[in-house]
Amino acid sequence: MTIPESTAAAGAGPDVSRIPDPHRPGVLARLRDRRVSGWLFLLPLIAFNLFVVLVPSTFSVWYSFTDWTGISSKAKFIGLENYRNLFRDPEFVQGLEHNVLWTLFFLIVPMAMGLFGAYALSRIRRFRLLFRTLYFIPYIVASVVNASIWRSILDPQNGLGDLLHINPLGDQHLALWSVEFVNNWAWWGFLVVVFLAAMQGVNPSLYEAATMDGAGATRQFFAVTLPAIRPTFAFLGLMTIIWSFLAFDYVYILTQGGPAGSTDLLSTVAYRNAFSNLQGGYASATGIVMALISGVVVTVYLVIRKTREWET
Amino acid sequence: MATISRRQLLGAGGALGAMALLSACGSTDPGGSDDAITIWNNLADAQQNDYFRKHFAEGYRGKYPVRFSPKADSTIDRLIQTALAAGSGPSVIATPGPSSFVSSYWSAGYLADLGPYMRHYGWTDKFAPWALSASQVDGKLVTLPASYETMVFYWNPATLHKLGLAPPKTLEEFENFCSEAKGKGHVPLSAGNADYKGANEWFVGLGLNHGAGPEAVHSALRGETKWTDPVFVDAIDRLASYFKKGWFGGGVDLYFTNNFPTIYQHLASGKAAGMLSGTWDFSNLGSYFGKAAGNDATWDWTTVPSLGKSVPQTVWDLAIGQSIGINTNFRDTAAAADYLNFLTTDLKTIIAGVERMNFEPPPIHISATDFSTKADPRIVRLYSQLSAAKSIGYTTWTFFPQQTETYMIDYFENVITGRLSAKAYCEGIESRFSRERAEGRVPAAPKPGGGLS
Repeated sequence: MTIPESTAAAGAGPDVSRIPDPHRPGVLARLRDRRVSGWLFLLPLIAFNLFVVLVPSTFSVWYSFTDWTGISSKAKFIGLENYRNLFRDPEFVQGLEHNVLWTLFFLIVPMAMGLFGAYALSRIRRFRLLFRTLYFIPYIVASVVNASIWRSILDPQNGLGDLLHINPLGDQHLALWSVEFVNNWAWWGFLVVVFLAAMQGVNPSLYEAATMDGAGATRQFFAVTLPAIRPTFAFLGLMTIIWSFLAFDYVYILTQGGPAGSTDLLSTVAYRNAFSNLQGGYASATGIVMALISGVVVTVYLVIRKTREWET
Repeated sequence: MATISRRQLLGAGGALGAMALLSACGSTDPGGSDDAITIWNNLADAQQNDYFRKHFAEGYRGKYPVRFSPKADSTIDRLIQTALAAGSGPSVIATPGPSSFVSSYWSAGYLADLGPYMRHYGWTDKFAPWALSASQVDGKLVTLPASYETMVFYWNPATLHKLGLAPPKTLEEFENFCSEAKGKGHVPLSAGNADYKGANEWFVGLGLNHGAGPEAVHSALRGETKWTDPVFVDAIDRLASYFKKGWFGGGVDLYFTNNFPTIYQHLASGKAAGMLSGTWDFSNLGSYFGKAAGNDATWDWTTVPSLGKSVPQTVWDLAIGQSIGINTNFRDTAAAADYLNFLTTDLKTIIAGVERMNFEPPPIHISATDFSTKADPRIVRLYSQLSAAKSIGYTTWTFFPQQTETYMIDYFENVITGRLSAKAYCEGIESRFSRERAEGRVPAAPKPGGGLS
């Protein structure tokens, strides 16, 4: 950096206020700063999230306190009436019960299948990739395709239902379990892949030590594998609970909540209230309750993770 | 040189991003198009879509061209609701009859008042009065009936010949028909709701109109009789008992899993003795009978039998299958009204659509002489008899308010599965109906003996 000649010749001395501080970077330099450029890259995402998540969420909270129809721009504030009505509504209560059953099923059955499937795969060397791919395929097939295929398979007149003399989707006592079974078929392969990836990160010396101590495969699974992948296990458990309260597609495609509401979940009840009964405010209140349940679960998970010092 | 702080930079970037997103998502033309009339419709298949596009969209010669966009049956209502709420949507708004959404769309300001065009186009002379009457909200004509339909009893002549049965006319004949068909190992009535849960209301409507009788239903629609009256409770109880006996679809659980192809195949193959359904099935049965299906099966129809002791043998359940109105966001209401007039009253185009595609016509005056010699005689017979009908019934999707209709669909499943008594079901109807009636949401219904014209 040089001082302009004319200024020096005039003997007035340089105007220090106009001299760039060599220790203070310019705008371009600051843009190149890793922290600023990081924020710049995040900007579109933040703007997008603000627009598609925060704005609708805020509206949804507001509408849950109104009598909004879901199609009109008019909405009258009615306080907590929607929330009070929710817990008196047998459809909501039934949907909540089914969601709890759904969550328990997905916390137990696919998690157990995923764990044992991954553990079995981790102990073989040949065809591991093939099996992993085979397990994963149902997860990437569209739910509408999966559900349609299973509807045909379970058909009580031409499919498995005929063979077993049952009507899995038509019997009100079997329908919820049948839908869960179909959804699980598409889901558990994903868990296998994630658990397998976590298991492959376990230090092999732990297994060697366990083997030297005389531990068999089962003992190794419970004493080495499971503790080592606990953060992954806990995270997938958390996500399972959240996703279970958001479940909709398989139920809607297979049974539309029937027969006689026996497969209704909170999501299908909310959908019906929003689009068939035109009770958008009431449906919003259902959605807020669903979000609150997920929020509580996430908070509990974060507290446990912090107190137990789990790593992700 | 002026510098900007990190906070300012972030703020400016965020604002720009938000503006860009808003610009991208916002619609500059909420009516769908400035230079064309747009219409969304849910037709049965690609062939019907092509025909509609050619003859009912491109065939229209008006101020604006018409752009037709086919939509799936299961999603069209949701798409229209969402589009309207977002300030957009097609120029012509279609609903599945006056019960569904019309009142709410009108209250929300999405539907234009068609009253000013009624005299200009002479709609009062062209349409059946009951249909125009049911299309009014708050005393204003807000939609036009684009199609009408009724419930009938379908049968396969070869099957009934083999079983030695005839289509039933009375309650006693109906019960004998079902008992005998079931006794001989057949499904008495092909039915199911796996593809369309709304099928429940077809049967509830039959139970009320043919079991309790149109006089009682009309009285209840006017608020003079309660839905908890024993005449309705008994009718629903009797209907539910038929389901529990397996007369509809072969069993309650099978009713929930029978899809449309299964239902039609059962009728065509002779597994089912008959079928109670709407005249919209005229267009669906073709693929399962005769040459198209590779068999020699045929079908025929007759009126729905009486399901109550003091109910007339012939009752025509009136239904508007589709209502159409004009989106207030479309700037030229008069031009859209002209297109509505074409869609619903151009007899030549309408009759050709009925003959070639089995489209349901609007409830305008149609006689047997309007059809060509190529027309299916079953269709000619239907519309000739309907025009002369004197005893009419009231379908739920035309004469009942929205939330009552939804309840009737959803909770009928609880009745046939034994989770809810007929009495409790009727109490649920009454509580919803009385509230919606007080809100002025019940479409106008013609008198039961008034006929169609």
